[in-house]
Amino acid sequence: MSAAIAAEAWRAPRWLKRHETLLAIILVIALIALGAFNDRFLTVENLLDQGRFITETGLIALPMTFIIITGGIDLSVGAIVGLCAVMLGYSWKTFGFPLPLAIVFALFVGALAGFVNGFIITRVRVPPLIMTIATLALYRGLAEGVSQAHSVRGYPDWFYFLGQGSVFGVPAQLLLLVVLIVVAGVALDRTTFGRALYAIGANETAARFSALPVDRVKLIVYTLSGLASGLAAWVLVSRVTTTRMDMGTGYELDVIAAVVLGGTSIFGGSGTIWGTVIGLVMIQLLKNGLALTGVKGDATIVVIGVALILSVLIASSLQRRRD
Amino acid sequence: MRASLLTSTAAAMFALSFAAGGASAASKWDGADDLPTSPLACDASAAAAPAAAKPYDGGQPTNPPDKAGKEITLVDVPKLIGIGYFNATSKGMQDAAKELGNVKVTTDGPTEAKIDEQIKFIDNYITRGVDGVLFAANDPVAIAPVLKKALSKGIHVVGYDANSTPDAREWFVNQAEFNGIGKGMMDSMAKEIGEDGSFAIVTSTFTTPNQARWIAEMQAYAEKCHPKMKWLETVEAQEDNNLSFNQATTLINKYGDKLKGLFGMTSVATPASAEAVTKAGQCGKIAVVGLATPNAMKPYLKTDCVKSVVLWNPIDLGYAATYVMRAVVDGKLKPGATSVEAGKLGKLNVVNGSEILLGPPFIYTKANIDKFDF
Repeated sequence: MSAAIAAEAWRAPRWLKRHETLLAIILVIALIALGAFNDRFLTVENLLDQGRFITETGLIALPMTFIIITGGIDLSVGAIVGLCAVMLGYSWKTFGFPLPLAIVFALFVGALAGFVNGFIITRVRVPPLIMTIATLALYRGLAEGVSQAHSVRGYPDWFYFLGQGSVFGVPAQLLLLVVLIVVAGVALDRTTFGRALYAIGANETAARFSALPVDRVKLIVYTLSGLASGLAAWVLVSRVTTTRMDMGTGYELDVIAAVVLGGTSIFGGSGTIWGTVIGLVMIQLLKNGLALTGVKGDATIVVIGVALILSVLIASSLQRRRD
Repeated sequence: MRASLLTSTAAAMFALSFAAGGASAASKWDGADDLPTSPLACDASAAAAPAAAKPYDGGQPTNPPDKAGKEITLVDVPKLIGIGYFNATSKGMQDAAKELGNVKVTTDGPTEAKIDEQIKFIDNYITRGVDGVLFAANDPVAIAPVLKKALSKGIHVVGYDANSTPDAREWFVNQAEFNGIGKGMMDSMAKEIGEDGSFAIVTSTFTTPNQARWIAEMQAYAEKCHPKMKWLETVEAQEDNNLSFNQATTLINKYGDKLKGLFGMTSVATPASAEAVTKAGQCGKIAVVGLATPNAMKPYLKTDCVKSVVLWNPIDLGYAATYVMRAVVDGKLKPGATSVEAGKLGKLNVVNGSEILLGPPFIYTKANIDKFDF
């Protein structure tokens, strides 16, 4: 036996070559570097605080991962956040609902908005991009029309617990997010529903012919996206103690950036919740770490843009090596 | 089958939109807030009788470190950066810092007037550790939690230009009395377009605190002193140049001859409205009255498209805010005080409990515009 066989070159295990792992390594390096520049960055207090800011985008990023895996997209999430926030305040102040009912109503409106998206996308076969651009304008307009641009304030104290309170030191909304991350991760990885998402994204026609309930699955993910936006609206209103009709503007871009940064292919068929979480954390902590180090204002956005491009390059080079 | 589904869906959407439109029943102008108004007298006896002194209603920091006489670092987070108005307030702050000698001020903020971004900026600076925060709020209620957090960490908080809820800051430097601005704007417009002219308003957003207050005061004053003037519409322009221009042009096209005057409520909306009126060839036929910085309005004042511009001196505003902060840190300005020394501006009075008044609004005209450069 020649030494050549015994001295077979060490091959990196497959999990190391995955996009998510590379991203995690980059994240750790970035954290250590930023932490070295600024001693307030890597404190528990600061990191937990950032957890508050991650939650709204994070909640929406979970079903967005599902949607992008199926090859679709949902650009109306920001507008749904605005609509639900307005509905929460308006139904409480003007319709006179008791506040818990108003919250449920807001979530229902979100789910309904998502359902409308999904319904028209699946039945009328409008491409998701076009449909959700249209509903982006429609829902934002509804928010403006219903609220007449008046903000609602003066919520009772217990309402602020979700957005500003802590449980054993951990921000309340972060706990909510973590629970839903676990649920979403399990759903994607371990259920037939999750498998169906990948199948639809990889080849929708084949999925249909395999007797997968493609339309029903798509309807569910768009409804979930609306529901998550409603949930994010609830957290947001609780955090800033007021409702404004322009809430959620631009959320769709932050959410999609986090999902794509995390390795989900925009063409569908691949992606994980874990990757989305890393993408989320990376964007928020980069922004925060850079700001603490003294990088002014929106120069941090330049860094996020560069990170996004790098991520796409890494993902595509890994893809090529796999083929 | 599919066609009928499409039509029924479209019908549902239309119904929804109409329902939403019909849900509005507001009889007050768009962009006004719900707080009580106090319009001034209609004639020139504008000096409103000083209201009974309100007790101090500001917030206080918890255990602030004693930095009396020592160097302090401040951060200024305006509504947004990159527009002439806040460049001017920032300059005023730098001037004051240089005069005082023991103050360092950095101006940092979002590039769009978004409250969520502003909250994150302030939060980051709290973590970095500053001695004081100066702010101009995009939303008075939404900014309160993060300002209260600053107070709880012993950081001093002073606002200028756009207030927050009183308990979230120690003092607020108010550039002019809201009802004074309401009166100044409506009187200028009435002089130009007559007592039964109709006008429209271009503002930032319907929930920005100072614009909302001014519009509410303008409405109250108009009802009292110019009841025949007709308000057509208020549009939002988000402190964006292009959007302001487009909105103003849309108003001109929409109302045609009925539109006699445009109000610009922000330093971005007024020059954009003047530009829209100029481009539409309506100079002299549509009056433009508003709040703006002199440099932006010089070309329009020279062509007589705009007759007068109402403002205060934003450089003085930033200057005063810095002096107020210094006085607070030095312990010279305590709750219950009735005035504060502000360098070259002299003594400024405390009104409304915890507001410090800069002074009466200043009217820029063709005659005096060249003396200013901001």
